[in-house]
Amino acid sequence: MALPSSPGQRHPPPPGTRPACTYAGRVPLALQRDDLESLARGFAMLGAGGAGSPHLSALVLENSATWPITVHSPAELDPDRPCIAVGYGGSTFLLEEQLPGLDPFGPAIRAIERWLGVEDAVICSIEAAGINGLANLQLAGSRDLVDADCMGRALPDFDQLSVLVDGLPGIVAAASAGPGGVAVVEGARPRDVERVIRTAIECNGGWAGTAFGGFTVGDLHAHAMTGTVARALAIGRASADAIRADLPALADSLGGRLLGTGRVIDARHERTAPGVVSFEVQADDGAVLRLVARSELVALVRNGVVVAATPTIIVALDATTMAVLEVDQVAVGKDLVLLSLPAPAWWLASPSRRRQAEAIHWGIEGLEETG
Amino acid sequence: MSAELSLEALLEHPDTGGLTVLHGTSAVWTQAVVEIGEDALPAEVDDGLAVLIDPAPGASWQVDALLRRVHDRGFTGIALTGEAPGPGSRALAERLGLTLLHTDHPTRLARACWQLLEARDALALWMVQRIARSIEYRADDLGDLLRHINANVGHGIALIDQEGILQGAGEPIPESLLKQITFDRWLDIAESPDGLVASVPVESRTRQALRVALHGKDASTAYRNALSTAVEVVMPMVAARLLIDEVEAVSDASRSSGLLGDLLESGGNVDAELEQRMKARGWRTNGYHVGFRIVGRGRLDPLELLRLVSSLLIRIPVDSHATTRGGGVTGWLTFPEPPSPAVVAARVRDLHELHRSAQASFTVATGVGSLASGPTGLSATLGEARDAARLAADSARSGWFVHVDSLGLEQLLLAWTGGDTFASAAASLLAPLSEVERQTLAAYLDEESSIVATAERLGLHRNTVSTRVQRIQGLVGIDLHDPEARLALQLACRVVL
Repeated sequence: MALPSSPGQRHPPPPGTRPACTYAGRVPLALQRDDLESLARGFAMLGAGGAGSPHLSALVLENSATWPITVHSPAELDPDRPCIAVGYGGSTFLLEEQLPGLDPFGPAIRAIERWLGVEDAVICSIEAAGINGLANLQLAGSRDLVDADCMGRALPDFDQLSVLVDGLPGIVAAASAGPGGVAVVEGARPRDVERVIRTAIECNGGWAGTAFGGFTVGDLHAHAMTGTVARALAIGRASADAIRADLPALADSLGGRLLGTGRVIDARHERTAPGVVSFEVQADDGAVLRLVARSELVALVRNGVVVAATPTIIVALDATTMAVLEVDQVAVGKDLVLLSLPAPAWWLASPSRRRQAEAIHWGIEGLEETG
Repeated sequence: MSAELSLEALLEHPDTGGLTVLHGTSAVWTQAVVEIGEDALPAEVDDGLAVLIDPAPGASWQVDALLRRVHDRGFTGIALTGEAPGPGSRALAERLGLTLLHTDHPTRLARACWQLLEARDALALWMVQRIARSIEYRADDLGDLLRHINANVGHGIALIDQEGILQGAGEPIPESLLKQITFDRWLDIAESPDGLVASVPVESRTRQALRVALHGKDASTAYRNALSTAVEVVMPMVAARLLIDEVEAVSDASRSSGLLGDLLESGGNVDAELEQRMKARGWRTNGYHVGFRIVGRGRLDPLELLRLVSSLLIRIPVDSHATTRGGGVTGWLTFPEPPSPAVVAARVRDLHELHRSAQASFTVATGVGSLASGPTGLSATLGEARDAARLAADSARSGWFVHVDSLGLEQLLLAWTGGDTFASAAASLLAPLSEVERQTLAAYLDEESSIVATAERLGLHRNTVSTRVQRIQGLVGIDLHDPEARLALQLACRVVL
């Protein structure tokens, strides 16, 4: 099999669009075992109600012998080194029933490396949220890890990966496709990547280890979110001791906003928007809140005004335990604390990027943030 | 613009296309803006009702956003069509102070708003047209006509006199308004917090001080004008209907009375033609019948009596018929299966109750026949009822009520002899006789004029009896060999002794 030539010309980073991040140093991040809880909580928040619980990945990492885990800053690595983003795709429910093996991403990574003729690629995450925030860290020890990802939050579709949204040429996607099998798709349109990988996942039984390559560490600066592991750690630490009594302070410490507190009094499947559930929340201040959810929390509408909508990250906390809730844990009778965390700046840098992460991407109208 | 549109006025309007209030109890708007979609609404209004023709958006947050934007434009009310907004949107409307309405036909709501706000005469004209349309439909009676009018104009309508509502359709007039109606003027408009009533007098041959009234919950000027015009238009229809009903009642009673006459004349030999006519009226000759007759003890209008009796008969749980005959009412109860004596007794008690109720309005006497079956039986029980009624008219002691039970003729006679007229006649007939002579006469008549048997019964010598009988014959001046005279004397003895 003829191997393709090295990746084609890269887009230079647009001037002034270098993403802001909380961590952009040239020193590696050394994660301690004690950080695991904060990391998990941080990734859960970035999950915006979706992306699965980080719990499973945390269990795997807890028993790993590689602590402390070193995660490099993109700036300290050779920009020409190939990079591969990994993560689970498919149903996170099935993932907890049919547990992954010791090397869930191996087949996909090796397929990409074989296809591109590279080796020892640096590993990052496809989405720094939920289960996938921690999943790539289990490769520590065998691979160099870099603090970057392709979404900066949870989003449901593969065509919402930053490297595909930006249209980088030569992106290669791979996913386990049934016992011993692996599907590789190269250079396809983002929506076709989504379809092919989704099909491979179905062949694999509902979830699969996926990997995306064909870009370099240098590409991460302009075409990916950087520093999201550090962001998750910071968020997790800041909210670790969160108490109900001082929610504005919590929101401040997370760099976010307190959207409201209240009780879920109704949940309805929206007839005109398939797959969308809206929760009616009676706010403690009397406002009428509508929390609109798909696989993630998509928007919050307060008294008829959209106050937060994807790509802004909406976080629902259980008001009693302050646990981060997934969409399916939000139910009638539950008391919620609703927060928003700023969207990764990468998504806001251009209208075309933003559009790919907004509700309209799924055909849902009327949920754009105003102002 | 000085005119105002209130939520109450809208709810009162008969055609708002199925308006329902999702949130809000009372509201007043100075304008109503009707547009296809929210985009076309004016950017700023002082206070108004927005009526949107396009269906409301499907998703809950889109409805919320719509309410919010309409509120931000200054509207205090919105009427939506399509899928009705859910509880969350209603809660939002409450929070925003927005009256939230839903209608199935927004254009009809728009027309109602226009009529109430800007074209009050149009509302009156519209109502008159709807009343005129009521004439198109056949009405069986006044009640039917009132129902038609109510269905067409949507307002409660009633025929009233000073005692209260006689007949009506739709929502009844509240007591507070009834009290305020003035009966001595042409058009009267009574108002109270419950709304308004417009009424005008109705002429009737038989009843006095009648008025026809239309009422509504909203007392705004538009309704005031419309209802007073409408009630004037309704009046001649009601008056004509009253007259027709009276004429129809008379002619119907005369037809059924004629039929009853034919039945009684036939003596139970119902021929095919007569049977056919009876069937057409729902009169069945099969089964078991108890006849009754109610007659006036003075002058009365049999038709009025029939009206009352018919209304009372409804309460008796068995098939019944009644019609006028002569100076009274004749009727019967029909049982499809042979009833037990207890059931018959219960129904006769019902008839007695009916008699007592009728006594409240008329001076009547009632006779009830015995249970009899088939066409012959019907004729017979009606005959008994007739005789019993005749007796009852003479029997204050029985409360002007006589029932001929299974004992038949004997009891009938006894009952008759119990009558006041006969009692006094009997007393005067036997007046010349001493007590002993009366007893002797009674025994002699009972023993079929046998001197020997009478002597044995009284323990006397037969010569004594013979002498007494001759003496009695002389005193009374009656030939005891005449069977009729003997019967009269025997009955007189029964009454007096």
